[in-house]
Amino acid sequence: MSVTDLTSMAEAQKQDRLEIDQRLQKLRLEASERCYQCGKCTSGCEAHKLLELEPHRIVALLKGGLISEMTASDLIWTCVSCFKCMERCPQKVAPVNILFALKNLSVMNGKDVPGNYTAMLQSAMSMGLIQDLQEVVDRAGAVRTRDSLGLPPVSKPVDMEKFATAIMGTAVEKV
Amino acid sequence: MPTEQFGYEMSLREVLPSFGVDLVDIQGMSCCGEPLKSVNQMLTLHLSARNIALCEKEGLDIFVPCPMCHLALSEAKSILASSKELLSRVNEKLEVEGLSFRGTSKIYHTVDLLHDVIGVEAIKARMMRPLKGLELATHYGCHLIRPSLLGRPVDPENPQMMEDIIKALGGRSEHYPEKLDCCGGPLLPNHPDTAVTKTGEKLKAIQEHGFDGMVLACPWCHKMFDGKQRKGGEVVGAKLDLPVVYLTQLIGLSIGLEPSKLGLDLNQSPVDKLMAKMGAPK
Repeated sequence: MSVTDLTSMAEAQKQDRLEIDQRLQKLRLEASERCYQCGKCTSGCEAHKLLELEPHRIVALLKGGLISEMTASDLIWTCVSCFKCMERCPQKVAPVNILFALKNLSVMNGKDVPGNYTAMLQSAMSMGLIQDLQEVVDRAGAVRTRDSLGLPPVSKPVDMEKFATAIMGTAVEKV
Repeated sequence: MPTEQFGYEMSLREVLPSFGVDLVDIQGMSCCGEPLKSVNQMLTLHLSARNIALCEKEGLDIFVPCPMCHLALSEAKSILASSKELLSRVNEKLEVEGLSFRGTSKIYHTVDLLHDVIGVEAIKARMMRPLKGLELATHYGCHLIRPSLLGRPVDPENPQMMEDIIKALGGRSEHYPEKLDCCGGPLLPNHPDTAVTKTGEKLKAIQEHGFDGMVLACPWCHKMFDGKQRKGGEVVGAKLDLPVVYLTQLIGLSIGLEPSKLGLDLNQSPVDKLMAKMGAPK
């Protein structure tokens, strides 16, 4: 069982592909019917100043159907998912959800997952948590653990095999 | 959060039971999946529905101290209430683990649990150490206040619940222009430098406004503003020296609980300054 099995999805995940296509189609229709490019989303975008994300342009590109161009771009991975664009849009368009769908599609098409996402995904698959239990350092520089601080053990899936099977659905049978 | 933000958990486990909240640990929980939503939204939906199902199996309401998890679980509930097709798909997968999602459990976060359920007056009644006019900047965390379409516990543009609690405890908490700005946390996986730049910029602004400290209720934001304060300062070229505490740590101090039991030793920011101003023991 590897990350590729989940991310590339292969044949077994036709259902997921169908779901994401439907999701993007619906978002495209919403964008086309409602967005009049006022730019309010971009004016409040948390990723605009430092990473040059312009949500109103993402919406415009979706309206124009330039989906594969966007999924090939690293720009879609700059969204911090603060939901300001969705909250403030006078026309109830949600650029943040368009970006989630585009990123999902990009991963499904086999494009490399950037940064640390792969490690988080691997960890979630193997132990149910995005990272393993950490040791922390207190202000005086001493190492402290959950145990030494009197906290109970971390809750995590007990039967990992069943947990992973459920997540992978039919994909796991192919592996 | 349970793998590293121990100070939040310690203060929650001290403060909430002291107000009569009975916390029950559920076995078998997993990540909510929200940090992986960019990779696969269906995975997030599955993981969140799974966690809700585990709580529903015990017939309990759900207390979610992390805004990001709170959003993921709230969104799962909303999606599965509106799509029978997705509900049956998710439940088919959950059945492998002997679980099923119903959507009956209520979901609470720290802030609304304290403000609405326990109540500001009940907190005020327990005050032993007033905040003595301390001026505190609040930070809620993007996922706790937006998108309001999903029914967030706090107002999206003018959140005031933490302010109400701080004022009741004798402190001050004025609005500041950067209040709704993001901590940068969600950029950590793929744009770590930009992430700490955002952290540093907001801390710098708060410090320049003259606040005595920052109060928050999100483990990701705390990881940034407390844990990465030094790095943030280096990146934006400012000497940052701002105490950052969890809301539950602040309340714990004010109602006279012991600082070490509230995990205050674990804060990396200079919280001693804040505690000294309150007259709390070291």
